[in-house]
Amino acid sequence: MPASLMQGSAAVAEAAVAAGCRFFAGYPMLPFTDLLEHMARRLPEVGGVCMNAESEIEGVNMVLGAAAAGARAATGSCGQGIALMQEAVAEAALNEVPFVVFNMARGQQDYFQATRGGGWGDYRTITLAPADVGEAVEHTQLLFHLADRYRAPTVLYGDYLVAHTHMGVEVEQRDLGPLPDKDWALDGTRGGTGRSRQIWTWAMGRTDAPGPGPDAHWRRLADKFDGIAATEARSAQHRTDDAEHLIVSFGTSAPFVDHVVDELRADGHRIGSFRPVTLWPFPEAALAATVAAGPCAQVLVFEVNAGQMIDDVRLAVAGRAPVRPIGGVSIDGSGMRQGALLSAAAIRDRVLAAIEEVPSP
Amino acid sequence: MQAEVILTGIGGQGVQLCAKALAMAAVAEGREALLSSHYGGEMRGGQTEASVVVADAGLRSLPILPSTWSAFVMHPAHWAPVAAKLRPGGVVVANADLVAGELLALDGVGNDLVGNDLVGNDLVGNDLVGNDLVGNDLVGDDGATSGCARVLVAAESIAGELGAPMAAGFVLLGAYASATGMVGTASLVAAMRDLVPPYRAQHVEANERAIVAGAAAVAPGSHPVWTAVTA
Repeated sequence: MPASLMQGSAAVAEAAVAAGCRFFAGYPMLPFTDLLEHMARRLPEVGGVCMNAESEIEGVNMVLGAAAAGARAATGSCGQGIALMQEAVAEAALNEVPFVVFNMARGQQDYFQATRGGGWGDYRTITLAPADVGEAVEHTQLLFHLADRYRAPTVLYGDYLVAHTHMGVEVEQRDLGPLPDKDWALDGTRGGTGRSRQIWTWAMGRTDAPGPGPDAHWRRLADKFDGIAATEARSAQHRTDDAEHLIVSFGTSAPFVDHVVDELRADGHRIGSFRPVTLWPFPEAALAATVAAGPCAQVLVFEVNAGQMIDDVRLAVAGRAPVRPIGGVSIDGSGMRQGALLSAAAIRDRVLAAIEEVPSP
Repeated sequence: MQAEVILTGIGGQGVQLCAKALAMAAVAEGREALLSSHYGGEMRGGQTEASVVVADAGLRSLPILPSTWSAFVMHPAHWAPVAAKLRPGGVVVANADLVAGELLALDGVGNDLVGNDLVGNDLVGNDLVGNDLVGNDLVGDDGATSGCARVLVAAESIAGELGAPMAAGFVLLGAYASATGMVGTASLVAAMRDLVPPYRAQHVEANERAIVAGAAAVAPGSHPVWTAVTA
């Protein structure tokens, strides 16, 4: 019996519900809108609440409030709307309030936004970029878990192909292990004793109960993000053994690259592909090891933007091999998704051209 | 076994609904399906395209197809890139009321063969524009659609005669399913009934008549998918 046919947005919504998400707020914007619609239908059925906010700013701040009260909560938009949310995301990161942000992006141009923080202060957001709908379901549950584990906002970097593709998917609740109690949650359980708690960036506390202060707060957060960077990087590889040419791509571009790798392998080319599954933390060590292990003559970076992930690839490869861009800007006429460059034929042409001209080291 | 169809048209023709009905019917028949839809912000008149991949098991496909076994063409506006993806030995099922001339023009064949006056129901509704009339070798100069069979169906004329001009897409869908055997007519009807929302329930009967009429307008199994396609 095949799994039921489900739109990617519906599958992500089901995964969020399975993960225990009970509050969602957002403002419609394609290709995110379908996720909001599915959450609006599903959350009331499980005792949750979905708010169609008046703006992205209002939506993310509603989520900040729900999450601060201890609920599993999420918001989303495409990159344009998430740009508006950055102040609240930064506050959540610095105040250690966990929630998930779904970026159903209009393309791959939000890599910097997702991986560089985006708001103010020393923080990063754990960002997972699924290659397809099935992986988006896995990532959704993992992101709620990681958010709670690290008390930090996390990001799913999806796109039109994740949000709008229908395929057979089974959403099963996954046990991802124990989590710390949310003893910090502002949930009223102190019974109105007047011993108010604060979640405040500078962690100064009160005059009668001083906190650790801003310096200690920032250092602790920096250590936390360093720890995440050291332990949570995830990556995938395809036919990298003996590869002379290594292509790095992320998200829904990666299956296209893998398809081209298979085609070119059949033609005798020694080629493989590497995919950061977490965009932050970027799997630097795994990429460096892959390049160092093989006869890698060059690293080709395919991303459908003007060149963003290539910065992280260069940092990871660190001169072990030449790093060259083979992607570029390509927007569909609708403005809602990647354009003609995201096709097996176009990628194949660019890879072949790059193979013919390997730069000297 | 795995087979693909790219559906192309303009917004308002029901291309997305047809694609979803086809994919759901395939799943209802025990197969796996992948549906990738593509449309702009406009509701009507803009580019609309969908890909459906159906497999016995272990479906594996990119959401933007590198190539396709078949095409479903409701409107010529965005047909050219689809034509370029057709593999030899495939089949094109097209809305003759709008597309015939374009198909032939692409192939360097004169339009007069299937001009509007020749594309009435009598000629095309019964799949007379199969290999006999148009030939097996409707090859474009670039060879892109080399060796593809054509099934031209006057979908809009047939839908008009049924009193359901909005259901032309379902006429073509019924014809596609019948000619290729990708899914059964009954499964398509059931999927359509599941998909049409309650506030559009008044169209269900007309849609069903359209699917059945489309299926009757072609020779069943004339271009069978499950024998023509190899994994």
